[in-house]
Amino acid sequence: MASTVISAGITIEGEIATDEDIVVAGTLRGKLSAKESVTIEHGATVEADVAGGSLTVAGALTGNVTANERVDLQAGARVIGNVKAARVTIADGAQFKGNVDMDV
Amino acid sequence: MAANVTVIGRTTRVRGRVTGSVDLEVQGFVEGEITVGGDVTVDSQGIVGAGIRGRRLIVRGAVKGDLVGDESILLESGARVLGDVRAPRVAIASGALVRGYVQTGDADASGTRAARAQPAARPAPAPAARPAPAALPAPAAAPKPAAAPIPAKIGRAEPPPAARVAAPLSNSGPRRPPPPVVPALRSAKGQIAKKKER
Repeated sequence: MASTVISAGITIEGEIATDEDIVVAGTLRGKLSAKESVTIEHGATVEADVAGGSLTVAGALTGNVTANERVDLQAGARVIGNVKAARVTIADGAQFKGNVDMDV
Repeated sequence: MAANVTVIGRTTRVRGRVTGSVDLEVQGFVEGEITVGGDVTVDSQGIVGAGIRGRRLIVRGAVKGDLVGDESILLESGARVLGDVRAPRVAIASGALVRGYVQTGDADASGTRAARAQPAARPAPAPAARPAPAALPAPAAAPKPAAAPIPAKIGRAEPPPAARVAAPLSNSGPRRPPPPVVPALRSAKGQIAKKKER
């Protein structure tokens, strides 16, 4: 599993930087940068700019997103912000407001 | 595992506040206050640059900040703590490094700062009480024990005679101090002056 987990019930206000996978199920306000995959689980609240290798969102995310590989917005996701990645998928049932930039 | 434990992984750096109600395990770097309702574990690789408050704290890594445990604090071998440690129960294992004020029992509301001022004076009078203070006037006696390093005093062969001299002094002291006290004072001052110079 991911080596960094922000579980439900935890709030982080600030900046997270990691070289490994990260799963957010709690609340994060600030900034998140990861080299590997970032997973924002259902129920999570992220108000942050997110940069990562790949990003999977099933929770609420407000902020600009940059991924080196791909961004997947799953059903139930609520995303407000610009998304920049080579591949972007938005599942049926995902809410999204923002620009998509796949020209990486 | 991922359900109820938050893990800050080895290569993860968090700059900011961490709050919540569940357990937290720090294997990486947290540069900010941690306040959680659950248990906090600072792994041997973990570094926390600010205070931690939680129900039970287990530290095997480095913490620079005050530790406050609602139930207990366990500093295991390899722990390096620079800050105050307060909890109803505190355990410090052999091999743990602590630099700060440690308080067990119910933490009273008084801040750590105020409490910190006392320990310098508090442990000193106990060993120093045998020789001098009984004979010396209080204001002069008070600063000396704090200034004189206790280990040095223990390491020397002199305290026993000083105690021997002081014993009769304290008996006769209250009645007529001048004649016997003066030589005792001189010798005591001489000792302390030497210690200060070192």
